[in-house]
Amino acid sequence: MKTVIKVSHVSQSYGSYQVLNDVSFEVYKGEILGLLGMNGAGKTTTLECLEGFLKYEGNISIDGQIAIQSQNESLPAYMKVSEAITLFSQWKKASLEPQLLKALDLLSIMNKQYQQLSTGQKRRLHLALALIGQPDIFILDEPTAGLDVAGRFALHQIIRQLQKKGVTIVIASHDMNEVESLCQRIGILKQGKMVFLGTVEDFTLHMGKCYRIKVITQEGENLYTTQDVRQTLSQILDDYQKRNLEILDMNVSRGTLEQHFISMAGGIEK
Amino acid sequence: MKAFCYGVWIQFLMDLRSRSLFITCYLVPLLFFFMMGSVFTSIMPEYQDTLIASMTIMSVSMGSLLGLSSSVVQIYGTTLQKTYMANSLPVYYGLVTLFVSAFFHLMIVSTLIFILSPILFHATLPSHIGIYYLHLILFIISSLGVASVLGLFVKTQGLLTMMSQIIFLPSIILSGIMFPASMLPSFLENLGKLFPATWGYLLLTQSQGQYILILIMILAFLICFQRMRSFYSFIK
Repeated sequence: MKTVIKVSHVSQSYGSYQVLNDVSFEVYKGEILGLLGMNGAGKTTTLECLEGFLKYEGNISIDGQIAIQSQNESLPAYMKVSEAITLFSQWKKASLEPQLLKALDLLSIMNKQYQQLSTGQKRRLHLALALIGQPDIFILDEPTAGLDVAGRFALHQIIRQLQKKGVTIVIASHDMNEVESLCQRIGILKQGKMVFLGTVEDFTLHMGKCYRIKVITQEGENLYTTQDVRQTLSQILDDYQKRNLEILDMNVSRGTLEQHFISMAGGIEK
Repeated sequence: MKAFCYGVWIQFLMDLRSRSLFITCYLVPLLFFFMMGSVFTSIMPEYQDTLIASMTIMSVSMGSLLGLSSSVVQIYGTTLQKTYMANSLPVYYGLVTLFVSAFFHLMIVSTLIFILSPILFHATLPSHIGIYYLHLILFIISSLGVASVLGLFVKTQGLLTMMSQIIFLPSIILSGIMFPASMLPSFLENLGKLFPATWGYLLLTQSQGQYILILIMILAFLICFQRMRSFYSFIK
């Protein structure tokens, strides 16, 4: 498979705060890679390094024309939808496919000013603007944030159609279900480090072996994730006995894929 | 070029749709012109000789310092610039289109003052209209240059409002458009020379000070150019 994006040992920091720590991954032509992580994990920073908006240490090579839909985009308040499309089409020396305008439901709002658009309409407009010029690589940061169910469905359809045309797509999201339904591979970022990179099947298989243990004591609720239930339970019981804590309730379960993602990416469980 | 011209055209239209620019470029300057024209020409008939120049200085200073600088911050101080760059628009696009559009708006309001002053207040027209307009163009470009520098360096709208007022108010008071600058204490008269408005007024009324305005214009352009280069200069 041809590599179109190669990220090698990329680190990035804001002052003394390190946002990305030695992140490396590759994206292959025609695939959809999902970058998952909790807020502040480094997803947007990774994408901004790819887009060239941030300084970084390490190397990034990109082979192809890139299109970007950022999380925080805006246009002048008084710019009309039709003007934005014409302006960007002229600069990119390309035009927007009429089918795309229809699919994104933009035809009815062509004369509306940017300030009059709803959040979903703005997201759809920015998506359309990014797609002018038929890019080889499409980077999307939280693409369905602010979209209703219909908008989300339409966007997913468009992403799948783009993939069929050979466009390589990188999506940053914290929605496990969205990534699971769209992406061939996922990378999970945690505190600026890539803690998992592989196919969705790999993740499911890896996490399928994990169990969640919920223990309730008079001090509160504690959650544990483990692959060896017997050993962990033994350690928990020993620990609680030493601390003289009474166990009020205990539950062992396999957990959902999303719960496993949270435990891997978020670190909110012990 | 076609894309750039279209950008200027839609910027011109957006400026007309924007209430804030309409207020700073047209409404307040023209209201000020009608009020000052009525009051000053009746109590001081000699004011008819300088009415066109003084009201033009006031309008251009307001439109550029309070109008353009604010629009520049709205692009370069927000995510808007990122959207432009993500969609292949060059880094200078926002500033240049705003600059050119503001230039046309200020030319329109200056021409309105030029036409209405003799009709409404019997103001004296400049002896050489062509030279007057050349000087006017130089003053507008210099003022817009200073406003661009302000807009590119100040990052928030709140701070910009304060900074532009700090420059605008003394510009108007010390430039000599309300009363002769020679009546001011020497310290304030010299302070007034720091602002383009003082040199603009001198240029429009006595055809002096063009070299200072050219120098201000060149300096402002160089600073803007350097500032533009620093934006995303690391992009490979």
